[in-house]
Amino acid sequence: MFVARSIAADHKDLIHDVSFDFHGRRMATCSSDQSVKVWDKSESGDWHCTASWKTHSGSVWRVTWAHPEFGQVLASCSFDRTAAVWEEIVGESNDKLRGQSHWVKRTTLVDSRTSVTDVKFAPKHMGLMLATCSADGIVRIYEAPDVMNLSQWSLQHEISCKLSCSCISWNPSSSRAHSPMIAVGSDDSSPNAMAKVQIFEYNENTRKYAKAETLMTVTDPVHDIAFAPNLGRSFHILAVATKDVRIFTLKPVRKELTSSGGPTKFEIHIVAQFDNHNSQVWRVSWNITGTVLASSGDDGCVRLWKANYMDNWKCTGILKGNGSPVSGNSQQGNSTPSLGSNIPNLQNSLNGSSSGRKHS
Amino acid sequence: MSGTKPDILWAPHQVDRFVVCDSELSLYHVESTVNSELKAGSLRLSEDSAATLLSINSDTPYMKCVAWYLNYDPECLLAVGQANGRVVLTSLGQDHNSKFKDLIGKEFVPKHARQCNTLAWNPLDSNWLAAGLDKHRADFSVLIWDICSKYTPDIVPMEKVRLSAGETETSLLVTKPLYELGQNDACLSLCWLPRDQKLLLAGMHRNLAIFDLRNTSQKMFVNTKAVQGVTVDPYFHDRVASFYEGQVAIWDLRKFEKPVLTLTEQPKPLTKVAWCPTRTGLLATLTRDSNIIRLYDMQHTPTPIGDETEPTIIERSVQPCDNYIASFAWHPTSQNRMIVVTPNRTMSDFTVFERISLAWSPITSLMWACGRHLYECAEEENDNSLEKDIATKMRLRALSRYGLDTEQVWRNYILAGNEDPQLKSLWYTLHFMKQYTEDMDQKSPGNKGSLVYAGIKSIVKSSLGMVESSRHNWSGLDKQADIQNLNEERILALQLCGWIKKGTDVDVGPFLNSLVQEGEWERAAAVALFNLDIRRAIQILNEGASSEKGDLNLNVVAMALSGYTDEKNSLWREMCSTLRLQLNNPYLCVMFAFLTSETGSYDGVLYENRVAVRDRVAFACKFLSDAQLNRYIEKLTNEMKEAGNLEGILLTGLTKDGVDLMESYVDRTGDVQTASYCMLQGSPLDVLKDERVQYWIENYRNLLDAWRFWHKRAEFDIHRSKLDPSSKPLAQVFVSCNFCGKSISYSCSSVPHQGRGFSQYGVSGSPTKSKVTSCPGCRKPLPRCALCLINMGTPVSSCPGGSKSDEKVDLSKDKKLAQFNNWFTWCHNCRHGGHAGHMLSWFRDHAECPVSACTCKCMQLDTTGNLVPAETVQP
Repeated sequence: MFVARSIAADHKDLIHDVSFDFHGRRMATCSSDQSVKVWDKSESGDWHCTASWKTHSGSVWRVTWAHPEFGQVLASCSFDRTAAVWEEIVGESNDKLRGQSHWVKRTTLVDSRTSVTDVKFAPKHMGLMLATCSADGIVRIYEAPDVMNLSQWSLQHEISCKLSCSCISWNPSSSRAHSPMIAVGSDDSSPNAMAKVQIFEYNENTRKYAKAETLMTVTDPVHDIAFAPNLGRSFHILAVATKDVRIFTLKPVRKELTSSGGPTKFEIHIVAQFDNHNSQVWRVSWNITGTVLASSGDDGCVRLWKANYMDNWKCTGILKGNGSPVSGNSQQGNSTPSLGSNIPNLQNSLNGSSSGRKHS
Repeated sequence: MSGTKPDILWAPHQVDRFVVCDSELSLYHVESTVNSELKAGSLRLSEDSAATLLSINSDTPYMKCVAWYLNYDPECLLAVGQANGRVVLTSLGQDHNSKFKDLIGKEFVPKHARQCNTLAWNPLDSNWLAAGLDKHRADFSVLIWDICSKYTPDIVPMEKVRLSAGETETSLLVTKPLYELGQNDACLSLCWLPRDQKLLLAGMHRNLAIFDLRNTSQKMFVNTKAVQGVTVDPYFHDRVASFYEGQVAIWDLRKFEKPVLTLTEQPKPLTKVAWCPTRTGLLATLTRDSNIIRLYDMQHTPTPIGDETEPTIIERSVQPCDNYIASFAWHPTSQNRMIVVTPNRTMSDFTVFERISLAWSPITSLMWACGRHLYECAEEENDNSLEKDIATKMRLRALSRYGLDTEQVWRNYILAGNEDPQLKSLWYTLHFMKQYTEDMDQKSPGNKGSLVYAGIKSIVKSSLGMVESSRHNWSGLDKQADIQNLNEERILALQLCGWIKKGTDVDVGPFLNSLVQEGEWERAAAVALFNLDIRRAIQILNEGASSEKGDLNLNVVAMALSGYTDEKNSLWREMCSTLRLQLNNPYLCVMFAFLTSETGSYDGVLYENRVAVRDRVAFACKFLSDAQLNRYIEKLTNEMKEAGNLEGILLTGLTKDGVDLMESYVDRTGDVQTASYCMLQGSPLDVLKDERVQYWIENYRNLLDAWRFWHKRAEFDIHRSKLDPSSKPLAQVFVSCNFCGKSISYSCSSVPHQGRGFSQYGVSGSPTKSKVTSCPGCRKPLPRCALCLINMGTPVSSCPGGSKSDEKVDLSKDKKLAQFNNWFTWCHNCRHGGHAGHMLSWFRDHAECPVSACTCKCMQLDTTGNLVPAETVQP
């Protein structure tokens, strides 16, 4: 039976984030051990760690790649209240021969007074920009006006979300019809329930980000949020990881119908909602076409979701967190082989109820 | 732990054993069942583990609490606190000759009988056992016993009693504790502090107290209600958790005045709180009547005093079983593993997973991190699963040059994998469109050609009000039917539908033959019938029935057909119109619908959705009047647009309507590849300039880039520029002469912006340009190649170094590619350069620039430049 391959990560503590570069040839991981590791894929498909260095003085929550057009650039954010931008340089030593690369810190973004919980580079067509969000409830958008000088970053926007922020996602659409847009999720667990997902849109006239939408139905803490790659669709797809997996579509109402200048209005529909993880959902990630969603949750499983031609989303695969396939009597769904990602050891199931990993 | 509620404990050293205690003690052994069947008598704990009962001990009634001796003991020595306050040492072992033999059965008796609430072995001095008791007047409530102490002689009579009961080993009663603490108070929970073996933390009646055994008169205490279940974090020895009702308080012993934080209150009272022994900062809690174990993940080292950062706590919950949980226990060594027991003593063994973070790579493999481990689930190339995702499909199609066959356009659907009927329809439509456009252009080089790509909807519209119907004879039947006279437009429409071939001949014969050859008998028969050739239809059906793959039932259908009668009220008609709905094949169904329909109303045929759009449209063109036809086409077009059905491109063509249709197709499938190639097949420029079309093209190019299909991307760009010359990129680099500053390419081409001049420059195949090594403006020589030291512009003779012969072959494989060797290239950093071929071969073995004393690592500056296009890796 095919089982997911385990890679010796060699981090000394929990890994908090995994991120691929644009081509999928490089990967970065970050951990509570305060370090970031960069991995390169060899021609044979194996991953080799080519750099590992201490980046922060606290747990590193997230790491993300800039588009290669801006060079080999990473951003990380941490509990130590900072975010940092890193660039790979060609060292004077024979690093390359030893298979190691050298990364230098280009800047530290110190505006937050609390833990910086997420960092994301803006879509390429907006230039070299990045957004951070922090536990103090502020989303900050920085820009490097000169892409040749990564030590200069200016704080362009501060958006107050009024709630402790946990995650952000840029709308990846590069269509001129869509203004830059960013979605923010909050994991605030205080009992006075407020909507936990806010969407901000850039307004050309005021040159500011203004709230375009609030997903009123999401009132539980949100742990992750992800816009699907747009891929020429006329609407946007947003996945939300909260106490369940939710998928929303946001269809822009045609501009002519709305008053010009104001924020775009959206028709928002929830197209899927799954509580198969039984409890909290931690992460969501879209494949390159935005057609398969992967989610992870407190049941210790990775689940894959895919829509059929009728736009009905369903689970097309489950994998346990340790890579072993889900088997046994708790998965009596029709076990048609995998759809979607083509991963052979996935099984169709809609009723996985096991929690955690059963042990030997 | 009163009789009904079992507790559970892992052995501290023999990690495959645990004890369940309610009214008796049961020792279990855990075994893996991965490679073996479940043994008889064992209990399943999880999918891959089972427990076997080893022994039961019911010597100690009235158990209130149990603690496992912390030193290694093969005999499972346990201390049991009883309802009368006595603490008994007991064993679950079978071997009675161990060194602990003397200890087993020892009893430690307080002065006054009251309930024993808690027991704690000292982690360092393994003989010390602390017991916490209920209050009894002014008596002490915390007693520390030394299990090795001798019994006091004044209770010898008691011993005799036990001996007379037939005990083999000497029963020993101890009444003199080592220390007595907590006078005039009650003790609810205890734990030794790892900081020092003489520090004991106790949850007393209304306070938490730290007793120092070096000076028993002193104690440190803090008043609080949270006095139950005190437990110290095994990773941060200053961090302690305790609880009261539904609330957990976390304390820092360095600032003991108040809890550093309290966790969200639970509606039901807590019953157990325990730190994970294998992972930092993970606290598990359990409330009464709950099937959920709540976990608090404290991500950070408790910060020293003065730092007011809020600690990050992530609240999680796991549900190991469906029943309520009575108790749980962390495994002492297995990472994050715990066992739970329910009130009816079913047990479950499971591992708490760390939060998994995950990411998709662009080439559809999934990577996730769980704890400290990474897992990759890669795509299997040869996997022939039922349904591939569009991302995989597009990648495979890009590799098979899908969309690039511009001669035999229909073949693109074969390149696409020959599986999607909509794609088949689309590419046949585009094929016919291309064919007839060329046809039209040859015949009359006017405006008609563009009409073909505008789709049947426009074609039919352009012919409004010019057609009359006439009666035609059924061949082989004495009957007539109304058929529209076919004008030029309708013939074109039929041609686009594929029913008739090019030329003025309106014979469907060749089409029927091809259908028969492909085994589509039902469809062929239906088409024959619609062309009023019932004999041919019957003949086709017979043929189908007698062929190998055919269906014998076709004969029956043929029989039914041959019984056709024109009479309105005949039995045949009645039966056919009712029974036809039970036919599975849509074409058989519409045949009878057609035969039984009233003249002029063909809804049964026109609105049978399972029949291909092209057949329905062709049928409509033959039988509907102009007004009807327009209405029908309009309606069908809107339906197709709504559904994003690619068959509808036949109607809309590559017009704005077509873009609308394609938009719903892309919305539905994400297939920008088909959308891009389809629109690039022959759309007029204004359609091509549609924002949506441009956006699809951009997205598809972006996909190809992400996949490193750069050659495919380039091919796509070339393909695109054929239809849309404005999409050609401008020259990105100009080379100007050092001396006169003029572009060295300007004299070679009148349009230097096209970039053609530059590429021709220095090419060996242009002998007419004799002075290629000098600037065409000022005649000064061009810079020298850093390797061959010959002025650039000179053809490369051969590569330096004899060992490079293989690479020479490599590059000269394609003649066009070989010319690249002569190109100028230079490093943007150190400005040194030379012939591209020389430079490439140099950097294959070297990291530094070939110019002496220059240490620039030219090649490494561009990481993307070192990536290999994916097409060359995967054939």
